[in-house]
Amino acid sequence: MKTPLFSEHTKLGARIVDFHGWEMPVWYSGIKAEHMATRQHCGIFDVSHMGEIYVRGTNSAALLNHVLTINVSPMQQGRVRYTFLLNESGGIIDDLTVYCIKPEEEYLLCVNASNAEPDFAWIDSHNQIQADIENASDKLALLALQGPDSAQILMQCLDFELDQMKYFNFRLVSTQAFGKLLISKTGYTGAGGVEIFLDQTFVNLLWQKFIAAGATPCGLGARDTLRLEMGYPLHGNDITESTTPLEANLSFAVDLKKEAFIGKKILEKQQQDGTARQLIGLVLLDKGVPRQGCPCLKNDQEVGFITSGSISPVLGKGIALCYLDRSVAQNDEIAIKVRDKQLKARVTRPPFVKGNVDK
Amino acid sequence: MNIPDDLKYTKDHEWARDEGNRVRVGITDYAQSELGDIVFVEFVATGTEVARGDSVGTVESVKAVSDIYAPLSGTIAEINDALEDSPELVNQDPYGKAWMVMIEMEDPAELDALMDAQTYDAYVAQEAK
Repeated sequence: MKTPLFSEHTKLGARIVDFHGWEMPVWYSGIKAEHMATRQHCGIFDVSHMGEIYVRGTNSAALLNHVLTINVSPMQQGRVRYTFLLNESGGIIDDLTVYCIKPEEEYLLCVNASNAEPDFAWIDSHNQIQADIENASDKLALLALQGPDSAQILMQCLDFELDQMKYFNFRLVSTQAFGKLLISKTGYTGAGGVEIFLDQTFVNLLWQKFIAAGATPCGLGARDTLRLEMGYPLHGNDITESTTPLEANLSFAVDLKKEAFIGKKILEKQQQDGTARQLIGLVLLDKGVPRQGCPCLKNDQEVGFITSGSISPVLGKGIALCYLDRSVAQNDEIAIKVRDKQLKARVTRPPFVKGNVDK
Repeated sequence: MNIPDDLKYTKDHEWARDEGNRVRVGITDYAQSELGDIVFVEFVATGTEVARGDSVGTVESVKAVSDIYAPLSGTIAEINDALEDSPELVNQDPYGKAWMVMIEMEDPAELDALMDAQTYDAYVAQEAK
């Protein structure tokens, strides 16, 4: 599959890779340069492969409250929240953002690309109350304009004032040139900026306009190193159907006070008993690159494994997310096994670098 | 794609420069551009005896780990320590500052058996298809 921007990517000389069936740019000039451009200035990412699901109708909030881990009822128009779809065992089917377009009437879910269809099928199978659900993934494009210079570029290109907006809020904006835009002050980089949903028809024009205004085109490679520096989990790596939000230290996106939702019972039990392991960070003390799957050792005993790892372009050191037994504490020194070598690492709670988002 | 005329090349995209009884080895411009940003490099120890095709080290990009193979048999006489602190040199100057190891050759005939620039150019063109 290709996004509407595929030809733009090849024109820019992007290296294209297969990402869960999507032909996506992994880099244009280089991962490090794109990473630093986003941290220091502004990067533009084509994330149109992400899935969008609308839930509408008088039962929309009730359906979402049943399948999501947060309570959507108090959400006001223009609010965005991060949340999960869980299976009956509390495992994470997907992590997603929910946009309240109109309370009790219309919500938009932004889900991971490869999960869009299974997510839709899961929600549909729990839709006994007959809310109206629509998979709009083929209609909508999504651009992420990220970095400290995003506000200035948004002003220049769309005459849009970002500074007045709060983090995890969005606005609907009608434009002559690009149709209706949903501009959301969110992102997966920690660098600040926005994500913009729009009709696929207009995405090439907007992409070109942002680049002409100084945004650096960035691929999935930089997106991955940027999110890892912030400790943001990647579904499929750090969180999966066999990990729960509590194990992943993501309980901020779970509302156990809510009456009932799928997976709640298991989470309540974990809340009471504690979890045997947790998702936490590592900073390497030795030189080397931590990789997904590397075992973690303490006193030669295996205490966990790495779920994502790379070199932090900002720190110039190896960083990783890993599941570790609760016997391992923050600031402990452990070893990771990379091929035939053991490398020293310090257990750290992410983020690994300071972000640029106002909480 | 930069493929200097005075070097010899392997199918695994190493280059070898004849420096008398020693051969300087690195990876090609094509290899570095395929790998992308190099973030880590490490080599076997000086003094290690290697046969042609043995791994003499690894280069890691953000996305992948690749072995560097000995283009010919011999003893590792020197390694380029500078790359451990500045792995980005592999992207910037693959035929110069980013040489990787120096091998004391056993059999000069092995050097002659490697591809010349023209042959390697055709090989890369084929592989890039």
